[in-house]
Amino acid sequence: MYLYLPVALTSIHIFIPVGLGLAVGLLSGLFGVGGGFLMTPLLIMLGIPSTVAAATDSNQIVAASTSGTYAHWKVGNVDFKMGFHLLIGGFVGGLLGVQGIKILSAMGNADFVIKMTYVLMLGIVGMYMFIESLNSMKKKKGEENVQGKESGLSKLLKFLPVQTRYEKSGVTHSMLLPLVFGGFVGILAAIMGVGGGFLMVPVMVYVLRMPMHVVVGTSLFQILFNCIEVTFLQAYTNHNVDFILAVLLLLGSTIGAQVGAVFGRKLKGEQLKIILAVIVLVVTVKIIFELTLSPSLLLSQVGGH
Amino acid sequence: MRQAQKSEARSRKFTIFFVTITALLGFIVSGGNTSAELTAKANHDHIKVDFFYHGSTVSVSGIADPGTDLIIKIASPEGHETLRQKGKVGGLLWMNVGTLKLGQVPNLYSIHSTKKLEDILDQKEMDKYIIGYPAVSRHAETDPASNEGEQSQWVSEFLKYKEASNLYTASAGKIEIKEKGGKQHYYILTAWPYQAPPGDYLVTVYAVKDRKVIEKTEAKVLVEQVGIVKTFSGMAKNNGALYGIISIISALGAGFGVGMIFRKGGGAH
Repeated sequence: MYLYLPVALTSIHIFIPVGLGLAVGLLSGLFGVGGGFLMTPLLIMLGIPSTVAAATDSNQIVAASTSGTYAHWKVGNVDFKMGFHLLIGGFVGGLLGVQGIKILSAMGNADFVIKMTYVLMLGIVGMYMFIESLNSMKKKKGEENVQGKESGLSKLLKFLPVQTRYEKSGVTHSMLLPLVFGGFVGILAAIMGVGGGFLMVPVMVYVLRMPMHVVVGTSLFQILFNCIEVTFLQAYTNHNVDFILAVLLLLGSTIGAQVGAVFGRKLKGEQLKIILAVIVLVVTVKIIFELTLSPSLLLSQVGGH
Repeated sequence: MRQAQKSEARSRKFTIFFVTITALLGFIVSGGNTSAELTAKANHDHIKVDFFYHGSTVSVSGIADPGTDLIIKIASPEGHETLRQKGKVGGLLWMNVGTLKLGQVPNLYSIHSTKKLEDILDQKEMDKYIIGYPAVSRHAETDPASNEGEQSQWVSEFLKYKEASNLYTASAGKIEIKEKGGKQHYYILTAWPYQAPPGDYLVTVYAVKDRKVIEKTEAKVLVEQVGIVKTFSGMAKNNGALYGIISIISALGAGFGVGMIFRKGGGAH
C-alpha cells in the first residue's frame, strides 16, 4: 500500500519507512545513537528531498529516543546529571557550529569541510573503538577493569576544578569536562548536520569513563532533547518536517528501540562497542566511495549535504 | 514505466472525478488549409492528490485531419529551478561545487509524437513551439552563464536529472491512430508521475504537415491536493510552530506508548 507524503511531495510504500525505522530503531536502542547518519542518506536514496529527510528524521528520533530512554531508565541506565551537563555543552556547541557553517558557506568551501570532517571523524572514531574493543576482548576483562585503569590523561583531569560525583555512572569528574566535550560534539554535529550520537558515545566511554550500558541510556536521553529542539526549528523555520513520513518511521523505530534495549542487555559492553565500531567504519567506507566514484547525476536538489 | 503502469490501476480506484474537456479547433497557422480540424480531450483532467495517491494516468485523444502527423506536449508553466552542481575537487573527490540556476524551464515536460520529431518538424518550428528536448535546451537560461559548450552540458545534465525524477518524458510512435470516416482518431495513454507537484498543466496537441505546425489545440490538467494531504501540507507551510509542536508531542506520545506496551508485555525485564 502506497501513501502520499504531504511535505516530501512523494509517494512511498508503507513497508519501506516502517522497516527502515525498525532497523535504525534497533541500532538506537542497542548503541545509544540516533541513527541519523544511517537514516538520512537512506531516505534520500528513496527519493525524499534531502532537507525533508534530515528534518523528518529528527522528528522520528524524538520517538525512538523517548522509547529507548524509557526502556533504559526502567533498568537504571540513565545518568540524568551527566546527561544535563552534556546537553548544556552540546547546546552551546550547536550554536557555535551553526555560526561556523555560515562562515564556511560564505567562504565557499563548506561542502569540502563538512565531508572531510565527516570522513575523518567517522574514520578515527570507528578505528579507535574497533581496536580498543578488540584489545579489551582479547584480555577478556569486563568494564570494571576499564574503569580501574587510570591513564595519565585521567589523572590530569582530576586536577580540574568543580569536581562532582556522577552517581549512576560511578565516576567523579570536573563538571567542566562534560560541558566542554558536550560542546565539542555539539560543534561537530552542527557542522556535519547530524545528531552526534556516534561521537557522544565514544566521548562518554573513553573520556568520561562511563560504563557502556549507562552510556547508551544517557546518550539517548541527550539525543531526545537535541532532536526536540531541531524538530521544532525545522518545522518552524524551514517547514521541512513530513509528519506522515515521521509517523511511518516511528512506528518501526519505537518498537526497534525497545527490542534493541532488551537485546543490548544480553551483550557485553565490549561486544556492543565493536559492533558499533564496525557500523561506523562501514558508513565511512560508503562515504569514501561516494566521494571517489563518478556520480550518475551531476545535479541534485538544494539542501542537505 | 512498468511501475507507473502498475500505479495506474491503483490510482484509478481513488479517483472519482472523470471530467472531460474538449477544446475545439485551435487556430489555423497555414491559411490554405480551410477544412483543417483538430480536437483534443484529456480525460482525467482533475487529478486529486489524496492520502493513497501514487501517481495517475492521463489519456489524450481527439480527431485530426488525415495526412497530418501529431505531437502531444504536456507541460507545466515555465519557471526557474536552483540545483546543486557536483564537480571534482582536486581531481579526485566528487563534491557539491556550486549551484546552478536554470530559467525558462518547465518543471514537468512530456512530449509524444507519431514519428521521430526531427523527421516531421523543422528546427525553427521546434524552437518556436518549444517541442522536444533540444528546443527546451536551447530555450533554457543558465546562471552562472558560461560559454555555450558548458551551458549545453549543464542543460543536458538537467534533462538527465529530470528524466531520473520521472518529470521529463519523450516518446515517438506511441500515439495510436485509427482512420474513421475520413478522419484520424488519435489516442495516447501517459503515466502521470506522483513527483509532479500540484498545479495547472497544459496539454497542447500540434498537427504537423510538410515539417510545419499547421494547427494546435489545448486542454488543461489540474493537479490538486485534497483531504488530509491538503491539511498537513497547508499546516506545515502556514502554521509551522503548531505543526512542529504537534509533531513533537506525537513522537513523544508514541515513544512512551510503545515503552508502556513493552513494559506491560514484560519483555523489558
